[in-house]
Amino acid sequence: MLGGGRRIPGGGEGVAAVAELAGHLPGLPAESVARETLRFSAWGRCAEVAAPVLSGDQLTALAAHVRRSRERFLAGLRTQEIVDILDRAVRTLLDRSDPRRRRAEELLPAVTGYDPETVRLGLTACLKTFRGAQLSAFVAEDFANPQMLDGFQPLRKGGYGRAFGPALIAHVWAGNVPGLPLWSLVSGLLVKSANIGKLPSAEPLMAGWFAGAVADIEPRLADCIGIVWWKGGDEVRQQALLDQAGLVLAYGGNATLERIRARVPVATRFLPFGHKLGFGMIAAAALDADKAAGVARRAALDIVRYDQHGCYSPHVFYVERGGAASPRVFASYLGGELAALSHRFPRRALDAEEAAGLAAARQEAEIRSAVSDSVEIAGDAEGAWRVVFADDDPGLAPAGANRTVKVAALDRLDDALPEIARHAPWLQTVGVAAAPEELFRLSALLGEAGASRVCALGEMTAPEAGWHHDGRFNLLDLVRIVEIERGAEAAAEDFAAYCD
Amino acid sequence: MDFRDRVILVTGASRGIGAAVARAFAAEGGRVAVNYLRNAEAAEAVAAECRALGGDGWPVRADVGDAEAVAAMFEGVEREFGAIHAVVNNAFLAYAFDPAARTPFWDLDWADYERQMEGSLRGCFNVCRAAIPAFAERAEGSIVNIATDLVERPSIPYHEYTTAKAAVVAFSRNLAVELGPRGIRVNCVAPGLVYPTEGSRNTSEAAMERIVADTPLRRIAAPEDVAGPVLFLASDWSRFMTGQTLYVDGGLVMR
Amino acid sequence: MPGRDVSGTALSDQVLDFIGRDSSTESAFDAMALALFAHQFENNESFRRFCLKKGRSPRVVTSWREIPPVPISAFKTLTLSCVAPESAERVFMTSGTTGGARGRCYHPTLAVYDRSTIANFRERFMRGRDRIRMGILFPTEEEMPNSSLAHYLALAAGHFGAPDSEYLLNQKGLENDLLFRALDEAAATGEPYALLGATYSFVHAFDEMERAGKRYRLPPGSRVLDTGGFKGRSRDVATGEFYGRMETLLGVAPSECINMYGMTELSTQFYDDGNDRADAPKSGPHWIRTRIVNPLSGADVPDGEQGILVHCDLANYNSAVAIMTEDVGIACGGGFVLLGRAGDEEAQGCSVAVAEFLEAARG
Repeated sequence: MLGGGRRIPGGGEGVAAVAELAGHLPGLPAESVARETLRFSAWGRCAEVAAPVLSGDQLTALAAHVRRSRERFLAGLRTQEIVDILDRAVRTLLDRSDPRRRRAEELLPAVTGYDPETVRLGLTACLKTFRGAQLSAFVAEDFANPQMLDGFQPLRKGGYGRAFGPALIAHVWAGNVPGLPLWSLVSGLLVKSANIGKLPSAEPLMAGWFAGAVADIEPRLADCIGIVWWKGGDEVRQQALLDQAGLVLAYGGNATLERIRARVPVATRFLPFGHKLGFGMIAAAALDADKAAGVARRAALDIVRYDQHGCYSPHVFYVERGGAASPRVFASYLGGELAALSHRFPRRALDAEEAAGLAAARQEAEIRSAVSDSVEIAGDAEGAWRVVFADDDPGLAPAGANRTVKVAALDRLDDALPEIARHAPWLQTVGVAAAPEELFRLSALLGEAGASRVCALGEMTAPEAGWHHDGRFNLLDLVRIVEIERGAEAAAEDFAAYCD
Repeated sequence: MDFRDRVILVTGASRGIGAAVARAFAAEGGRVAVNYLRNAEAAEAVAAECRALGGDGWPVRADVGDAEAVAAMFEGVEREFGAIHAVVNNAFLAYAFDPAARTPFWDLDWADYERQMEGSLRGCFNVCRAAIPAFAERAEGSIVNIATDLVERPSIPYHEYTTAKAAVVAFSRNLAVELGPRGIRVNCVAPGLVYPTEGSRNTSEAAMERIVADTPLRRIAAPEDVAGPVLFLASDWSRFMTGQTLYVDGGLVMR
Repeated sequence: MPGRDVSGTALSDQVLDFIGRDSSTESAFDAMALALFAHQFENNESFRRFCLKKGRSPRVVTSWREIPPVPISAFKTLTLSCVAPESAERVFMTSGTTGGARGRCYHPTLAVYDRSTIANFRERFMRGRDRIRMGILFPTEEEMPNSSLAHYLALAAGHFGAPDSEYLLNQKGLENDLLFRALDEAAATGEPYALLGATYSFVHAFDEMERAGKRYRLPPGSRVLDTGGFKGRSRDVATGEFYGRMETLLGVAPSECINMYGMTELSTQFYDDGNDRADAPKSGPHWIRTRIVNPLSGADVPDGEQGILVHCDLANYNSAVAIMTEDVGIACGGGFVLLGRAGDEEAQGCSVAVAEFLEAARG
């Protein structure tokens, strides 16, 4: 089935009566904001999104507003108070009867193309990581003493330190995986910064709904959040935002990040999050006759969730020979599981160009299988999924996503490491199925090669709360530490009124 | 049922139930590989009927008891038709269903049992082994094994025959569990006495009348009666069924 | 099994005969296509294995629409020839701009390619005229012996070019002086003139003309043929703007500008009938037919929907009679409109896409 699942080109001016208002623009009169309608359709549903198009002046006014709100309110909150507000906001979105949550379940399948079940389960899995306890884990992960965000705390070297977030963080989000913007937005709030985020055209709703949920709980916190949009490539508006921010977080492909980096003022910190390439490793020990099918099922779930469009999604599974189930049999199990899962979680529909790109990407293996017995392809007639089995081919590369995966049979998993290390800049998540000793041994090698996250199969697309995205610190990377040196404290003693 | 673009291998298809099943697939547009052991002429005739019925038919000789011959047969079918979507294990060792002439247990040797196991189960084993790689390519495939309703109700104790067929049923269930995760389904069709066939040629009228009297639908099965449930299990209509045995005996066995 | 026992030579004669007819019926086209398919299935191991992977054999293929189309990328890895490659009279190679490897197309004899090209060119570009003075914006066949486009243009110039036709470009690039002189002369003679070449050469020529402040009014009846599009070469110019420059810089109306759509993997070309409208539909002669398919399932898309173009070219008697392109199109009239190309799509999420990965790997 071609068509749908993506933005329909030619979305015109003007706002349809039913269009969902995207964005969050505190301080700007609603009637003053121009809107552009983005139209989407998939799964027999249509969605119209009225995305805000701000003028340069409006962007500047918005930036001033969120900064001011931060000074007046957020800067004076204790971290625990922020956690409590966000927790309450997240809980409303976890409630499936909440009007925003219902809108999300209704509209996001049409907007992103992901099937309704994937969206529903994905939303819950994502939002759960932002509940109070999990947010506390976020903070504790980066700060041995979380009170450092609230006041000066004694440092081991002597003296005192306190962490300050920038006055304004700019986020440039990308991609169509719902909820992705929340990671950086929540981090920005936890360090008490004002935040303005640019919505991705492929999923322009979730961040705005989140800000709306916060507004219902505590409007003064929501006043510190601006959610904006512009058409990709609009350098003028982008520049207006970049010039205002103390720190810029950006997501996207290398070309996009390169363009943004060139526009960020030199004294402004820039944190780029590029596209990644996940993969899995399955040791022989995980492939006994009893466990192999279960391992394959978990691997299949990692493939099916968001159709491999997440940075953490797997594209290759390295499978060790020597287990009761051979890599070939594992590949066959994987095919069976993908076929079975496609009934409950159908793949998102692709438009003609996407389908053509996917077909072209798949053809290379298809052609190799025609001339070589060491390559075998399995897939259904409609092309909903493909498993490419390859003997002794450790090549690590994307194969078109959308449920296209390679199973590479190796004598030892280590045989893949030189190839993996060649692609260090693309590495992040590795799903590993192995015995404990092997898990630690492999993790050391994978870490050395450039990976930053080793997780269980079946959990590749659901990073833990407080995970180190791309091996970095979520909060620490955002703040600067302000120190009161020991000497300053000692010197101050002399000036105390009660000085003897 | 639409079997257009579907390739089905039917073993022992030159006559009797196998031939009726082959023709039924062809009548629904299927491409049938008509396996036979000895009678090339009869197999070609069945294949020709398949072609005339709107499907396709291609006779292919192989002793299903011989694993190498079976592998060669699959290669031939794939080269000829480009694919294989379902197999029907119908071939079995000749057996005369004559209550009067049957061998009582005390006159049977272990070798008689072995012969039937070879005839029924080994062929089934060889064909299933060979079919798996082709099916795994699509994580989809259907295996239908022909058993007998005697496994459930041995009205007449054809010991060695029925025991071997009972083994086929147990074999199929195990295989269904093993292959389910790989998308391959395995089911059985268990007919009652089918007339006319080679095996039932000498069955006495009196024996048949006894069966008819106990059968709610009041007749003996014809080969064509068996075809329907076989086609159903080979088709997508039964895509969520595996490890099942369908009894095709007019209600003689109910379970 | 029609054609199974027919030798390649006899088949090429049949194809020549087919091309020579005025038109073809669906059943005649089917019969020829199936004979070629059976021939290629029998005589090319790689092709046979490819077909069997697709579940197709001559026994089950009963119409040209069912012949498994070979993706053009396969020409890079498979030897798609029914004769020993070294015995081929000519090998055409793709430019190899993407991915490094070059696709190879073996022609045991050029007789079929030439007949197909000449007959079609006469019909679609010459339109009743016997000869026209030509300027070719492409290197010669001698300079690029493996370029099908060089051969195509040599055929055009040889069969339809007036005696003073000439090449205005060599392997090193455009020869400005030659180009300006040729255009000056052409404008002065009052005789119709034809400029033919790769799209990106035209873009380059336009740039040079603008830099030199040159503008021409070619005589009435003059025409232009460009081919290849803008991908990866020169700079992107929207089609409308491109033909607009044809008019301003050469004085040739867009309706007289013909775009040829061809590829190394085909032995027959498609043409439009002028570019005075955006998305001018392309069509081919009676020995080539096009399907628009869902590339993932290979099935025809419903009428009026976009899909990937699959061409069944009877002149491809030695390689693969049906090929799957990477071009997105939509059916229109008796032909199709080209809309885009695989690989132009953006990454959907934050997982690295194939194109970005390859781009980075090339460094």
